[in-house]
Amino acid sequence: MQKNIATLFDKTWAMASLTGDKLSSVFNKETHRFTITGLSRSGKSMLFTSLITMLKSRSEEGYACLPLLRYLPPSQVLDMHIEPIEGYKPFPHLQNITDLENGQWPKATEEAFGFKLVVRLKETASLKRHVLPHSNVVFEFIDYPGEWVTDVPMLSKNYAHWSDSAWAQLSSGPQQYFASQWKAFVNQFDFEQEPTEQRIQLLVNAYRDYLVDAKANGISLLQPGSFLLESSDFDWQAFGFTPLPSSITSDVSHPWFKIFDKHFAKFQSGWLTPLKQSIFKETDKQIILVDLFEGLNHSRQHLYQLKETLSHLADTFVYGQSTWFSRNVLKKEQIGKVAFVATKSDLVPVSQRGNLLHLLTQITEGARARFEGKPIQFEHFLVSSMQVTDDGSNADAIRYKDSDDRYVESTFEPIPSTLKEMEEGSHFPVPDVSVPSDFKARILAGKGVDRLLQFLLGKGEQE
Amino acid sequence: MSEKPYTFDESPEQTSQSTLRRDAIYGDVGEEDQHNAMTGYGKPNNDHERDAVTKPQYKTKVKTQTLDIAQPETKLPKQVVEDAWEVDSKKGGLSLGAATLGFGVVSLIGFFVFEAYTTLAANVSEHPIGTGVLGALLVGFVSCLSFLSFKEWRGYKQVNTAMEDASVIRDLLASNGTDPSAQQESSVGGEPLAGTEASPQKIDRVLSQHGKRFSRGSYAAHCFDRYKQQLQDDMTGPERLGLYEDTVLKPVQEKAHKVLNKESVTAGSLAFISPNNLIQTFAVVWISFRTIRRMARVYGLRPSTAGNWKLLKVLAQNIAAQGVFDLATDEVANQIGGSLSAKFMENSAEAIAAGALNARLGRALIKLLK
Repeated sequence: MQKNIATLFDKTWAMASLTGDKLSSVFNKETHRFTITGLSRSGKSMLFTSLITMLKSRSEEGYACLPLLRYLPPSQVLDMHIEPIEGYKPFPHLQNITDLENGQWPKATEEAFGFKLVVRLKETASLKRHVLPHSNVVFEFIDYPGEWVTDVPMLSKNYAHWSDSAWAQLSSGPQQYFASQWKAFVNQFDFEQEPTEQRIQLLVNAYRDYLVDAKANGISLLQPGSFLLESSDFDWQAFGFTPLPSSITSDVSHPWFKIFDKHFAKFQSGWLTPLKQSIFKETDKQIILVDLFEGLNHSRQHLYQLKETLSHLADTFVYGQSTWFSRNVLKKEQIGKVAFVATKSDLVPVSQRGNLLHLLTQITEGARARFEGKPIQFEHFLVSSMQVTDDGSNADAIRYKDSDDRYVESTFEPIPSTLKEMEEGSHFPVPDVSVPSDFKARILAGKGVDRLLQFLLGKGEQE
Repeated sequence: MSEKPYTFDESPEQTSQSTLRRDAIYGDVGEEDQHNAMTGYGKPNNDHERDAVTKPQYKTKVKTQTLDIAQPETKLPKQVVEDAWEVDSKKGGLSLGAATLGFGVVSLIGFFVFEAYTTLAANVSEHPIGTGVLGALLVGFVSCLSFLSFKEWRGYKQVNTAMEDASVIRDLLASNGTDPSAQQESSVGGEPLAGTEASPQKIDRVLSQHGKRFSRGSYAAHCFDRYKQQLQDDMTGPERLGLYEDTVLKPVQEKAHKVLNKESVTAGSLAFISPNNLIQTFAVVWISFRTIRRMARVYGLRPSTAGNWKLLKVLAQNIAAQGVFDLATDEVANQIGGSLSAKFMENSAEAIAAGALNARLGRALIKLLK
């Protein structure tokens, strides 16, 4: 009897403590979930690495960085730590720092990583500080391969629809050159033969060769991007599919159509749906990273394609303002703040950054059209996660150490501020910058990260 | 270092450049690709199917030169250490006030000696050196006194100018530091756009002028240094203003309130332990002047010892109020009787009053200087 009473007491006490913890977390915990959307090579991993380094250096070592981040004043930050997110591998921050120390850029992300940044703030409100002396601001970030994000719009299509649009895409624009070999392969392929495993693999491998070649040459609209990564959980060797000519996709009884339609459905249900639910989960803040240099490095057509890709991406997310009721009762979040960010902005001279920002606003036109009639706050930002370049001898030049360890100066002709201004047949090659030995100082000198966080965390001071 | 710190190693008309990410643009460049680059026609490796579509060739819009100088190292930003700033400045040699007093004392003694000397010798003309020395001392005294007076006057003027600057900064803060042209700029993004740079320059000028007035070693000057360290060239006008508010205006205000609280507690404590009203009045006067001096050290503006009449008026009112309060508490104590508890109560009441009056003085000072 006594034992039963003791157990009951223990349980009641445990419940009371749990309720107390939950209650206190309601009052002193503030969670911000960020969806960071970016195509591959847009600089997501480097942005995360810089962000952690900046915040840690600011709160633990007292370095005066992120001066415009008024939301987290250094005098109020007590400490900061990183916690893993359940179900995700921890973000390899230390590995990335080691890579930088060894003169290598962080490796491209090939699987999803998740982490929470917990910042403990001193409470300043006169009454609250006696009851709850500190509050926690929690940032949840998920890093994932950029190749995955281009696949999410495929969820809203059936196989025939996707195949026709993919076939049309690879027959136009800058990718047509890289797709010619694949199309020739399809033309001489015998679709009268039954689709055996070997034949399917032959076709899928040929299509993948095109995807790899096109990606290496700056093409951004590549589907399915997941086929590019060996680390993707979807077995594209066994359940692969490719776009087919309309002569086949228009015949629903064709054995090749049937098998690819089946594989496509499996790709949607077994890979894309869980991916969207786990990684692109509903949040209220979104950062869309855009590497304008992928376009500038190649041609005007590449820039137009980047614009089209971003427009498709915006279709994937739910935009609107979350109310207290929808957030706490319906447990449903909508994206209410969107930041369009052009990364690696230090790779152009300061004098050209105004043009770069204008170009960014034009590239995002299609994506922003999705916000019409909705109360969405959005801004455009130029960000450099690490200030790898120095000022040049004139306003249009930058200096940096290239991969051959030479200190060079690059002088830029005016960067186009609109797509129309981009001269046909010309390009702005990306400076091939090596990792500087003073990388930590250059991370702390990175620009725009504080402005970006302040916009996302602030309560509307920017507008 | 040579006069020409770089050499051209690439032709500006080349269609692609080896120092740039060429492999990212064209993949591995083989002999055939080099031939293509020369002829201007694309012909992919052993790929006749691609003949139908010409490989894209681009003209570069970036010229690159190799420099024969080393890359400068970027310094880590300054560390914001704990606020180790002390209200009392470290004594650095003889102060001007002490020199004035010294000259005065020396002159006085000199005149006494001179007087004694003339009395004893009864012949001034026979001792020109003594007269000269005493004359020089007197000149020094008068000069220093004049300079001190000038400094006092300048300090007074400086406070008024700083108050005008402060009102300009307040206006800018109220309008979020933007003029109509700058507002357009911020609506498109965080980075300044070409052609609308007047606003940051104007704000910079106002803030620099305000910052220059802070006396050396003051807390405000310390904060202003921190502001300058964190300033970045791509910051817009409103961002500069926000940074100034965060790194200078707010910390100075907080520090002033902290110093004032401490001084008010000291005033109360002194009033509590003072054995009689005369000592208490002296203590209140002393602590009031100390409060003015310390607050001035925080704000970096010296309102001058005999400076701002507003402060003196508050000070006089405080002393008068303290006197009236003393009379009242004495009377209450008499009514209660001469017990120890009555004395304790009287002193406690006076201590609270002294603290409150000192806080009043401090608040007037904060209002004046912020």
